[in-house]
Amino acid sequence: MAFLSDDERNEIRKVFEQLRADVKLVYFTDRDSPVFIPGEECATCKDTRLLLEEVAALSDKLHLEIHEFAAGSELAREHGIERIPALVISSDSVKGKVRYFGMPSGYEFSVLLGSIIDASQGTAGLAEETIEALSGISADVHIQVFVTPT
Amino acid sequence: MAIENSHVTADVVEVTEFPPLVERYAIRGVPKTVINDSVEFVGSASEAQFIGYLQRAVAPAPN
Repeated sequence: MAFLSDDERNEIRKVFEQLRADVKLVYFTDRDSPVFIPGEECATCKDTRLLLEEVAALSDKLHLEIHEFAAGSELAREHGIERIPALVISSDSVKGKVRYFGMPSGYEFSVLLGSIIDASQGTAGLAEETIEALSGISADVHIQVFVTPT
Repeated sequence: MAIENSHVTADVVEVTEFPPLVERYAIRGVPKTVINDSVEFVGSASEAQFIGYLQRAVAPAPN
């Protein structure tokens, strides 16, 4: 079953006309294991993967990479991934890191689409003063925004 | 902000999928923003307010 209806696909295709640079979606998911390990299961990994596959298919500027998550692996360390499902949204113009943990459903789905477009355009539409103030920050900053599906 | 500055990592976390984080960050309302595990606020903030929080988070601890 598809997550997105035909209407939604068409709408998203239209929104994706704003895409400029290519965007890499690096997705970390669980191992496809026949063995069920209590407490280790990832309830939304498979659905998130299917949703991302549907989204990535709507523009040839989107490149979805799917990786089985292994704690401490080189790739997981490179992106600082400690939990899944995890998505890293990157492009040549994203200087820092933009990540999404969990399944982007409901309102968060539009946040995901917005982040993809911002990454592609290399701007989040911040005010000049904000960009200037940001350039003065030279220490590592980790911003976490906790949300719930709506 | 993560697009503009290489020092910034910006995460969105669906907290219902990671229950241990609810406790760790004492999340009782969303959206809750935590910066460098030290500065936090619930709800929205203007860009200027957000920059203020960022600057507070990276400022050296007072003696």
